[in-house]
Amino acid sequence: MGYTEEELKKELQTKEYEYGFYTDIESETFPKGLNEEIVSAISKKKGEPNWMTEWRLDAYRSWLKMEEPEWANVSYEKPDFQNISYYSAPKKKNKYKSLDEVDPELLKTFDKLGISIDEQKKLSGVAMDIVVDSVSVATTFRDTLAEKGIIFCSISEAIKNHSDLVKKYIGTIIPAKDNYYAALNSAVFTDGSFCYIPKGVRCPMELSTYFRINQAGTGQFERTLVIADEESYVSYLEGCTAPSRDENQLHAAVVELIAHDNAEIKYSTVQNWFPGDKDGKGGVFNFVTKRGICHKNAKISWTQVETGSAVTWKYPSCILKGDNSIGEFYSIAVTNNFQQADTGTKMIHIGKNTKSTIISKGISAGQSQNSYRGLVQVSPRAQNARNFSQCDSLLMGNKCGAHTFPYIEARNKSAQIEHEATTSKIGEDQIFYCNQRGIDTEKAIALIVNGFSKEVLNKLPMEFAVEAQKLLEITLEGSVG
Amino acid sequence: MELKEKLLNSHLAFEEQSDVNEVVQTQRINSLKVFQEKGFPTKKIEAWKYTSLSSLIKKDYVLFPKNDTQVEFKKIKKYFLPDIETFKIVFINGIYSPFLSDTTHDGLDVCLLSAAFNQSKYNEIIKKYFNKSVIKDESLASLNTAYAREGAYIFIPKNMVSEKPIEIMHFSTGEQKTLWLQPRNLIIVEKNSQVQIIERHQSLVDHDVVTNSVTEIYAHNDALVDYYKIQNDLDSASLIDNTYIDQEKNSHVSVHTFSFGGNLVRNNLNYLHKGEHIMSTLKGLTILKDKQHIDHNTLVNHSKPNCESHQDYKGIFSDQSKGVFNGKIFVHKTAQKTNAFQQSNNILIDDKATINSKPQLEIFADDVKCSHGCTIGQLNEETLFYLRSRGIPRKEAKALLTYAFANNILQSVQINVLKKRINEQIAEKLGVDLGFDL
Amino acid sequence: MLTIENLHATVDGKSILNGVDLDVKSGEVHAIMGPNGSGKSTLSSVIAGNEIYEMTEGNILLNGEEIKDMDAEERAHKGIFMSFQYPVEIPGVSVTNFIKTAINSSRKAQGLSDMLASEMLKKIREKAELLEIDTKFLSRSLNEGFSGGEKKRNEIFQMAMLEPKLSILDETDSGLDIDALKIVANGVNKLRNNNNAVIIITHYQRLLNYISPDFVHVLHDGKIVKSGTKDLAHELEAKGYDWIKDDID
Repeated sequence: MGYTEEELKKELQTKEYEYGFYTDIESETFPKGLNEEIVSAISKKKGEPNWMTEWRLDAYRSWLKMEEPEWANVSYEKPDFQNISYYSAPKKKNKYKSLDEVDPELLKTFDKLGISIDEQKKLSGVAMDIVVDSVSVATTFRDTLAEKGIIFCSISEAIKNHSDLVKKYIGTIIPAKDNYYAALNSAVFTDGSFCYIPKGVRCPMELSTYFRINQAGTGQFERTLVIADEESYVSYLEGCTAPSRDENQLHAAVVELIAHDNAEIKYSTVQNWFPGDKDGKGGVFNFVTKRGICHKNAKISWTQVETGSAVTWKYPSCILKGDNSIGEFYSIAVTNNFQQADTGTKMIHIGKNTKSTIISKGISAGQSQNSYRGLVQVSPRAQNARNFSQCDSLLMGNKCGAHTFPYIEARNKSAQIEHEATTSKIGEDQIFYCNQRGIDTEKAIALIVNGFSKEVLNKLPMEFAVEAQKLLEITLEGSVG
Repeated sequence: MELKEKLLNSHLAFEEQSDVNEVVQTQRINSLKVFQEKGFPTKKIEAWKYTSLSSLIKKDYVLFPKNDTQVEFKKIKKYFLPDIETFKIVFINGIYSPFLSDTTHDGLDVCLLSAAFNQSKYNEIIKKYFNKSVIKDESLASLNTAYAREGAYIFIPKNMVSEKPIEIMHFSTGEQKTLWLQPRNLIIVEKNSQVQIIERHQSLVDHDVVTNSVTEIYAHNDALVDYYKIQNDLDSASLIDNTYIDQEKNSHVSVHTFSFGGNLVRNNLNYLHKGEHIMSTLKGLTILKDKQHIDHNTLVNHSKPNCESHQDYKGIFSDQSKGVFNGKIFVHKTAQKTNAFQQSNNILIDDKATINSKPQLEIFADDVKCSHGCTIGQLNEETLFYLRSRGIPRKEAKALLTYAFANNILQSVQINVLKKRINEQIAEKLGVDLGFDL
Repeated sequence: MLTIENLHATVDGKSILNGVDLDVKSGEVHAIMGPNGSGKSTLSSVIAGNEIYEMTEGNILLNGEEIKDMDAEERAHKGIFMSFQYPVEIPGVSVTNFIKTAINSSRKAQGLSDMLASEMLKKIREKAELLEIDTKFLSRSLNEGFSGGEKKRNEIFQMAMLEPKLSILDETDSGLDIDALKIVANGVNKLRNNNNAVIIITHYQRLLNYISPDFVHVLHDGKIVKSGTKDLAHELEAKGYDWIKDDID
């Protein structure tokens, strides 16, 4: 892989959050606050069928009775849910036939994000769905995909045009009452992506969604639903940015994956929400529920690079229901300054001969707290289940913390489970060795961190891997004094 | 009346018939308040996620057994270490038995906690140590403190090596069908001293006895404490063992826990480091069957630099038995150059056996070497094949390999007769004919 | 090329070097010998700029330029290379990636642009061939799981790639069998020319059978107590270090 020095150098000079610009697009924003009227209004605004409105209201009523979870190893001021606007959309509605119709301001946003839609289209062949604030603004490559029978669109469109599919699957993996944030999301989600790969189809390109919170005082609640029918394959990428703001913004997404018999879903995330400034002010609260189900011989692979957000609470999980199914979780979580991350996975072994692999790399710097929390569960009928977990933590400096909380529950004697965890620091001898070969300390750290994270970086699609590498370095910039 | 209510309501009566050491009394009353507020832990509490006390606390227990039970030594001889001389502190149904005990005040004190509470010459020590190491918001330890009256008191003055091991034995006779015991041990090992202690809880007939025990161990500079817990009780007996260890500079405290019996056993083993160059060793071997349940809950609190801790727990679970390992290594930011290792290896023999493991690391210092590993698996088929190819039948080969898996925990046992005794027990549990001494 | 004047150095307040003087000219090979604890490795670390050691007195000049206040990487950019006695492991970073980063860092410091990938590859192949290194080895993580011999060969390979002016080989012979020793020595000999210089730090003279030094110095209690030609090394081998101790006492 190209180790592009010049690019790195440039990135290293940009100390502040580089995606912290605000795009001046006229937008329509709901008044702040949450009640049944707002929930209904969101549903109405989006022209949803009745069942959907009811489903949302049901979720909202459950949410009212629930309490915000406290068990994670994070502390933050609880968001005031009445002080958030639950709907904010760029005013010109999303009816672009071609890119020429897109608001030029918005296109500039993508340029700044490093996503030139045109370029993407020509060069890498990545199909994109872009969600700004709460609304999907552009989906590329739709026609090419449609030829194969692949549906890739915003979830709002899917609710309208593929109502049966959505109705059949939504909330089946993550029920609306699953947890506090999932219930909230189910009530108020405004957009997100929907993807369906028909039987036997191998999706010819990476599908990608880019999320961005733009408007102040808004929360982003997107909902993603990916269905891979029998013997199909899809690789899905998700990227996130938000402008720098003093107040905390809330992001509570729900992602559901369904991998039918012999299907494979690869889901990669590079999460780079605004982490707050160096004094811990502002930043996104990232409370995300992600879960997938694997039917017979299916495979779900989660790969995540978590560098942003002030607080992250996220456990992409696999329910290995079908025999011979496989779940994988590869994660790099980097925290600096005052960031807090509590992230990991759950591997629920139900079918026979199911396998799971967990590789988690946590890097803590500054005064941040970085926790791995994971569950490996082998149910009584999960004959011959296998799990391998490895959780490595790297500490930089003496004001941060690295924590490992694995839960291992085995109820079948044929289970083979191995869990390993280590904690280490970057050795002074390693840095001196690099220095002696002419590599300065900052770059030496980047090199070592990169090596530390390699097992996970290698799992990312090429386009993302380069971006992820850069993000790691930006995040750790200035972390060693 | 619910057990909690009963325990709260009985306290006044307990205090009235108790001694009047003011320091102890204040601690008791404060601790009762903690228990009153917290009650018995439920599965909602993270540290009790995998262990439920609900079936235990449903029953009605005798809290204050009668005074007059006698047991003949020959009936219990087999529970003591053979062939070597030991100090003995023996309790029958929670009451001290002078007849069976062998205590001393010759240089070191090996005696009763009640005696230490009542005699003014011990006042300073009680004030300095009693309940100081106990984590104050733990409800079961607080419950014990509220009723703390009897148990072992061991004081080894500086520069002394206790030439005999000390056996702390708790027997229950079944005269009270349901019995709730709360022994309290206080062990102080002063600078540059050494002691070996064996602790055992044993019912002589099968009955519902629950022991909620607290042991405090204070190891001063350069002290060496070697502690063995033998948990091989009858089927209906349950044990909640709360042990708190405070270590000072250069001390080494090692605790071996052998858990082969009982209904429900919960071990809360807590280490706190108060000086540099401390070594802590935690070893556990568990072999369970039927519906037995064990929960090892360990905490090593590294708060000073240059210390080491080693944890090694092995478990073998048959039938419907359940094992829980919940180990936490906590490294404060002041504890640079910590080496902390934790290993939990388990074998499930039968389909309905369960293991829940939660090995945790919480690290706040960067220049440390910490690791944990946890495995759940079976015996290696290749090794099995090797043994079988040498003519050993599959069943024996399995037993032999399981024995080998368990046996290596014994390597660090310092008392030879104890090592031999446990080795025999392991062999018996696993159906291995040793044929020769190992 | 390298001039060391009255060098004093301490570690954790303990004094290790007590006034070392040394003058190394282009094209020369110097061997510094001495018993354990004489300060040999400290000397190499101080020249390379390891901050664990505090230089309390004296001066170090490289081609007339004072380098004692420079960071380790600056000294590397000026052409100082140290072959480590215990090369560190960096998991996940390949030998190639590491060497590329090192070379381009030096080039950047000299105001040059990055070396072209094709040029880099050509050079890697050339040097690997010169030192009889299997190129498969270059894609492995730096020193991770390397045998003692592989680590030392990797050090010499990096030396070949970086083309330093002054190379310091710190106990390069330790832990090597005779075949590995020959390969490493051979490599060093191939890299020697009139524009560079080598300092060999060693306890034994066996490496000197394969790399012939122009001068031999004996370090004792942080000072050079005796200097001579190659013969001095033989004499030391025959009589042992006690002979020197007796000699100066």
